[in-house]
Amino acid sequence: MNSSTPMTPEELRTLMVAAGLFILGAIGFITRRNLILLVLSAELMLHGVSLSLVTFGRIHQTAEGQAFTIFVLTVAACEAGLALSLVLSLYRQVHSLDIRLWTELREPDVQQPPSDDSGDSSSPESAYVGIPRLTPAGIAPRAVPGEASTTRA
Amino acid sequence: MNHWIQQHPLTFAGLLLWAIGIILLMPARNGASKRPSPVALGLTGAGLAAFLAGFGRTDAALVPELLFWIFSVGALAGGVLMITARNPVYGALWFAVTTLCTCGLFLTQSAPFLAAATVIVYAGAVIVTFLFVIMLARQSGSAGYDQKSQNAVVACISAFLLIGAITKTLQTTSVDFPRPVIASAEDQKLSGSAENAAAEEDSEPKQESAGTSAAGLAMSSTSVRLADPEDLAVAAATPAPVPNQLSKADANTPVGSLRGLGRSLFSDYLFAVELAGTLLLVASIGAIAIAPRREEGAL
Repeated sequence: MNSSTPMTPEELRTLMVAAGLFILGAIGFITRRNLILLVLSAELMLHGVSLSLVTFGRIHQTAEGQAFTIFVLTVAACEAGLALSLVLSLYRQVHSLDIRLWTELREPDVQQPPSDDSGDSSSPESAYVGIPRLTPAGIAPRAVPGEASTTRA
Repeated sequence: MNHWIQQHPLTFAGLLLWAIGIILLMPARNGASKRPSPVALGLTGAGLAAFLAGFGRTDAALVPELLFWIFSVGALAGGVLMITARNPVYGALWFAVTTLCTCGLFLTQSAPFLAAATVIVYAGAVIVTFLFVIMLARQSGSAGYDQKSQNAVVACISAFLLIGAITKTLQTTSVDFPRPVIASAEDQKLSGSAENAAAEEDSEPKQESAGTSAAGLAMSSTSVRLADPEDLAVAAATPAPVPNQLSKADANTPVGSLRGLGRSLFSDYLFAVELAGTLLLVASIGAIAIAPRREEGAL
């Protein structure tokens, strides 16, 4: 057994994957506008932190990294529950999950973010672009003059 | 900085491609981006592969190497697809993929209990709750705010500067990190060098303090010794108390064993465990208090 064992390449690249998870969560938290996706991005950042803690614990040959990760797991569960109930109560007030609707705490010199121009309202028509439409086909049913008037009425 | 780029061109190019791919993958302003473009997907995948391949070959066996590649590519690709998902339901499902792959990485880093606990907590509870809320608050069709991201370019630039700094720091500084070596019983018996004698001498007071601090939990006969002789000399000169001695791994409780984890949690971190339980209680009460009630009207 030699005197000094450096960090192995396996541990180094696992730390890099953890850093990648963290920055992906950070990008998602800044860029997305859906409240639920914001909370999910925060959970992604917590995954990155957990993976780093486990790897650090393995490098230092101690169980503390994994013990900390258990606490991270606990806090993440609490955070998910609280965040989702907050999201629900916010959604009940404005009937939208857009983060831009909640800008009352911004600094006074920061201008209001531009509200959505084109696609603000939900666009149910564009969501079903790929679905084929049925063209009318076959023989048109015979119209009985008396029946048509009764069914219409 | 330039030296580092010349040394690791693959990592640098991978980070660059990855950032450009994410910027292109983000939901854009116009309505033409209903689904991610294959060019952006290819750029992101190539950047990810180059980033991971830039760490060079390791001398690991084939199966651990393969497992690492599967889990890390799955985790990072799932994360990319999650943060660029147009539909929040798909975002939650990609997050589930990322969680499972992270648990696989936990397994490769010798944390099997944590892998199981994370699968149970996240896949079993958190993602199901997220999907429930998404379904509850779902409008007809696709919402405009899901089709448009904000500050994508600035966020990607700053985030990839951050990961570039982390990569450079880890690759240049901490490879020579001296790590504690677990001395097994035979190793202690066989070696009679002066360094080992110093290690024995150093580890004696640690064992005594551990034995007195935790009455019932007896330490085993093996000890943790620092690897570096200079470190040993410094440690001998300044006899600082070693914190959390019961969390250290030894020959009987290697890192990742459930016994070692429980011993660390319920001896060194007992107060924190109690605090975590209190936090769970308070959070559940708070969630019930915040959530809209039935008499306040439907969603």
